[in-house]
Amino acid sequence: MSRIKSNLPRVLGTVAAVTLSAMIGGQAVAQEIAIGAVVPSSGPFAEWGRSNTVTLKMLEQQTNDAGGINGAKLKITILDDAAKPAQAASSLRKLAGDEKVLAVAGPLTSSAAEVTFPVANEMKVVSTSQASSKPGVAKLNRPWAFRNTIDEGVLAKTTVPFYKKAFNIKTVAVIFDAKDATASTVGKVIMPAVLKANDIIIANENDLLSFNTGDLDVSAQVTKLKALNPDGVVVSADYSQAITVLREMKRQGLIKPVVGATQLISSAILKAAPEIPVIAPATFYATMTGPAPEKFTATLTPLLRKESGLPKDIEPSMYDANIYEIVSMYIDAIKKTGVTGKPADLEADRTKIRDHLAKLEGFAGLGGPIGFNDDGDAIKAFYVLQGQNGAWDTKVKGCSSAPGHPAC
Amino acid sequence: MSTYYASLLAESGILLLGALSVYIILATGQLSLGNGAFMGIGAYLSSYLTVALNVPLTLALVISAIAAGIIGAIVAFPALRLKGIYLAMATVGFGEMVRSFFLNFDTMGGSGGYRGMQHISVGYVWLWAGGILIAVMLLERSRVWLEMQAVHDDETAAGLIGLNTVVTKISAFAAGAAVAAISGGLFAHHNVYIEPANFGFERSVDFVLAVILGGSTVAPGSLVGSLLLVFLPEFLRPIADWRLAAFGSLLVLVLLVRRQGILDRSLIRMLTFRRAAA
Repeated sequence: MSRIKSNLPRVLGTVAAVTLSAMIGGQAVAQEIAIGAVVPSSGPFAEWGRSNTVTLKMLEQQTNDAGGINGAKLKITILDDAAKPAQAASSLRKLAGDEKVLAVAGPLTSSAAEVTFPVANEMKVVSTSQASSKPGVAKLNRPWAFRNTIDEGVLAKTTVPFYKKAFNIKTVAVIFDAKDATASTVGKVIMPAVLKANDIIIANENDLLSFNTGDLDVSAQVTKLKALNPDGVVVSADYSQAITVLREMKRQGLIKPVVGATQLISSAILKAAPEIPVIAPATFYATMTGPAPEKFTATLTPLLRKESGLPKDIEPSMYDANIYEIVSMYIDAIKKTGVTGKPADLEADRTKIRDHLAKLEGFAGLGGPIGFNDDGDAIKAFYVLQGQNGAWDTKVKGCSSAPGHPAC
Repeated sequence: MSTYYASLLAESGILLLGALSVYIILATGQLSLGNGAFMGIGAYLSSYLTVALNVPLTLALVISAIAAGIIGAIVAFPALRLKGIYLAMATVGFGEMVRSFFLNFDTMGGSGGYRGMQHISVGYVWLWAGGILIAVMLLERSRVWLEMQAVHDDETAAGLIGLNTVVTKISAFAAGAAVAAISGGLFAHHNVYIEPANFGFERSVDFVLAVILGGSTVAPGSLVGSLLLVFLPEFLRPIADWRLAAFGSLLVLVLLVRRQGILDRSLIRMLTFRRAAA
């Protein structure tokens, strides 16, 4: 008995040490890996923001159900920026500064990216946009800014030749949304240059037609388009705005093939005027075939219809695929580069993720392998699609890098 | 203070200046729904001066304020013939005109926006915001403000007692435009990127809302309104999708309870334990 008493302090010490090490070990297992996301759940692009939110929640659940990241639980903090640049920048500051996330997915729009990417550089945290495709936005904000999108100028160089050949296009007329920065750049700068390079005459070259986001009546502009009698029409606008133009074209009997940028890709645009062929590039679309995209669409579609509060026929968009890929790339970086997720290692962890993305080649994305070029833009496969009679059909496969790159 | 709260404070300071620009014009009984345009003029002009001509920011802000003030005075001339809702509509038209101008003004980036400005600190923003707020509060104690109030209360009577109502109204418009331009210059250099969509009708409505919510009869009301408009939606983030609905409901509730806005002279007197003048 006395022996036990004399050994009591040692026994208690051992028990305490074992308990403490178990607690420390337990803490390591229970730790969270924090990722942030900035999406527009309200405001003009709320549809994409809300579906992005459901997509990220799905990925979080999938990751944690599969055992987390190196044993740690994934936590994605999603903030709404209402598609307002200043709010997007504040959201990134909150995520990087207060929530101590390792990396941020978003923001969605080019305007928000223009304001947010400099903040990402200032705070030394990776920010990857899921939709910004205005030329040069990431390039201006290296090394922390990335975009899982392809520059619209690159896409147009493949889209326009197919459009010309498929519909024997010799002349086109251009109409664009003047209030949308990306649509305006595509309509005023990118498309005219690529059309000219392909010997296509722009019937209204000196008088490009425009409208403003939110305009419900574009009958005057479409009447002018009709008077020009072009072989085809360039519509540069977000799909929700382009629908207004297509409906009016249909109403006025202007059934001519339409060409545009990635902004046109949606299921809704095909329902607006099924008889008008629409040509646009995309890196993902809901009816895409292949094991990865089919599984993604099959899993996400019911969740979107149940949880997003959007119309019941909603399907995953290219931007859902892009944000899914972005966070998947972050997870890949965390797993492969020894990111600890501990507060003391925050700066080093963020740098590891940045360096991993910068050197990334051949990451298995939904539409094919993904890497990043020196400008921070994605090198990935894309598809020129033709939408008609309610369905998108792949016509050409392209790549945003020179042939032979692993991502192609 | 975290950079997140610092950025919200900077946004509040910029909004405060926009609200004060409306408040000054409102003091003469005129409602401007086009101050976003003056903000845009200040943002673009000051950015051009600092980026293209390397003019120091403070000087660029002063030049922008003077330029916007002159434009404000010019706009005020036709506005003299209009009152109430008709004046408000005219200023909306002016706002759209300016936004469309910058949209097509390719020298300053057009719809693609303009960048290259140096980021400014929250301290610099509040140096301007606080300074102008104090200046307006001092103005409220002056004879000029009494004349503005006289024009606000009864323009005809003010004219009959010998006040130059035309000069008073034009000066108020010019001063409001100048303050809005400073707000724009600070906005441009805080966000380091501007585009025409930043200065549309929605921005002008934010200014008016900050004044109406905070209190349209005292200058510090704009401060209260600006802080609420910036911070409240952020504090409501935990309720996610419902936050904007909750924010709107709170605004309606506040305006139902206090039609004059949160802050007025009697509340200030109560808070500072002062008696009303006999």
